[in-house]
Amino acid sequence: MDIVVLVKQVPNTTEVRIDPKTGNLIREGVESIINPEDRHALEAALQIRDNTGGKVTVLSMGPPQAIDGICEALAMGADRGILLSDRIFAGADTWATSTTLGRAIRKIEQFDLVLAGRQAVDGDTAQIGPQVAEYLGIPQLTYVQKLEVREGAVIAERALEDGCEHIEAPTPVLVTVLSSLNEPRYPTVAGLIDSTRPRAPIEIWNGADLGVKAYEVGLAGSLTQVVKTFTPKGARNTQYLEGSPAAVAAQLIDALRKKEIRLGE
Amino acid sequence: MFNIPKPKPEDLIRKTFARFTDEEIIPRAREMDEANQFPRWMFEKVATTGAFGIRYPKSVGGAGGTTTQFCVIVEELARGSMSVAAFTAMQCLMGTNFLFEYGTPDQHERLLKPAIRGEKVASFALTEADAATDLGGVKTMARPDGDSWIINGSKTWITNAPVADFYTVLCQTDKSKGLKGLNFFLIERGTPGLYVSKKFDKLGTRATEISELAFTDVRIPFENRLGREGAGVGNLLRILAVIRVMTAALSIGLARAAYDHSKRYALERFQFGKRIGSFQLVQQKIANMATDIWASELMTYKTCEMIDRGERALKEASMAKYFASEVACRASDEATRIFGAYSYSMEYDVQRFYRDCRFLLFGGGTSEILQTIISRECGVF
Repeated sequence: MDIVVLVKQVPNTTEVRIDPKTGNLIREGVESIINPEDRHALEAALQIRDNTGGKVTVLSMGPPQAIDGICEALAMGADRGILLSDRIFAGADTWATSTTLGRAIRKIEQFDLVLAGRQAVDGDTAQIGPQVAEYLGIPQLTYVQKLEVREGAVIAERALEDGCEHIEAPTPVLVTVLSSLNEPRYPTVAGLIDSTRPRAPIEIWNGADLGVKAYEVGLAGSLTQVVKTFTPKGARNTQYLEGSPAAVAAQLIDALRKKEIRLGE
Repeated sequence: MFNIPKPKPEDLIRKTFARFTDEEIIPRAREMDEANQFPRWMFEKVATTGAFGIRYPKSVGGAGGTTTQFCVIVEELARGSMSVAAFTAMQCLMGTNFLFEYGTPDQHERLLKPAIRGEKVASFALTEADAATDLGGVKTMARPDGDSWIINGSKTWITNAPVADFYTVLCQTDKSKGLKGLNFFLIERGTPGLYVSKKFDKLGTRATEISELAFTDVRIPFENRLGREGAGVGNLLRILAVIRVMTAALSIGLARAAYDHSKRYALERFQFGKRIGSFQLVQQKIANMATDIWASELMTYKTCEMIDRGERALKEASMAKYFASEVACRASDEATRIFGAYSYSMEYDVQRFYRDCRFLLFGGGTSEILQTIISRECGVF
């Protein structure tokens, strides 16, 4: 089974701080890492390949330094890495990013399965996977916590708010995964060294390679634009209720009703 | 398609092992220390990264890495647990080096390759009751007998001995030749006449097991002498610089842990209505730790570069080991002062750093003998 894994380099959020004046993330000096859920997608791909054969291609869009993530993915066992990097891709929202990734997957041609993490820890949108599936016109299975591969199909267990569902879909199919799916392996030392050698199987594709126009991708191709980012003020108005448990419960219900908070039927 | 410069492998290795240490080791470091036994599960986990083969070529399952890369790995592991770093260093270097250099293809298949995969534990036996810094005092004898060697004697302070599957043992074959009569021998666990004592109860690195070995008429095949006759000490000298610079890297890891904990505590602990980090005497401690660590890093990795270029770096490696191990001890000591009475509690990690740092003073040469060696290398003796 030939698999494409979508991988994003994100700032290590355990270190991220927000500039109180501008509201922007302070990225200077913050290490970039592979988005945690994308590691689980890659692990799933490697396990499937090891059992059924085929090839795992890692695909990422980002600035030149995103090559670090491709190297790490190769060191985990991926067969091929492709980095989409071009100034015209900069400033993309999820729509433009999905368009770019979708074009690249079409260029790859041969694939049965596209795997991605549910969402990236920097944006938390969970939109890329579904939008790429729409772009490619293939089925999508999101929030997957168990995955099984059959001849020409995958069977997935999707996590829902109040349970789970089992779904089968024909390949080619796109699957976004949760971290509960597996435990990702670490890159090997030999793999890390090899990934930095000149003959490592890494390709860099730009806009011309994809045959995209500047207005289709990046900031120009985005349907949304960030007007402002800010940290919500956490000011709270705390009220202390006193009295017997029954009296406190009554006061609490009154207070919630006053705020027009629905208490259920 | 155009080209983008690739990252440096040592940077990727540092990033990977920093994450490994943060995710796998630090959350379990205290538990491993308290259990006071070899954590085989952790040994196997380290093996999955291929770290044990960092110094060896791919032909034996290694990674073909450099001394710099090896030191980066053990430094990061030591930041989480000196015990884990110590058994990793033993497996990567002393425990397997002579087997790799001088072992037969059959020994490589049966022992070296499984050791690199983490399926067998390696150990290295040099020290004796009366022979530590003074290797000329080694009394363990190996005498030829037909197509075998017969080994008699004992070794002490042997890292990994209670759990090891094979040992590289320094023995005397001809007392009259002194240091030139010393040779390394490969002895496998289970060989009749080999006794492993119970493990030592020790101050630090409690998740690394250390014990004595005794040999009573241990018969091993003739090809188990690793290296040509009389070349033992010469062959040891060839990796002595690596052993010392590796110990310097372990020291940096521990010093960084002590520094990180101190810094965090200095910023969160309040006295007299102020963070203790706002007091100049605490700032002095932090500044000295940071400066010492920076100097240790420069010395250690500059020496690694020399070794990687194939230069003799015994003086520089001795200086790096002497300096960095003393820095680790100073940093651990200062950390306990910043933590005050809390450092006296087993619930805080700084007590572990304070105990573990002593381990760094002995292996690869004590500070005292290293000063003699450095002075000799400077031409004053």
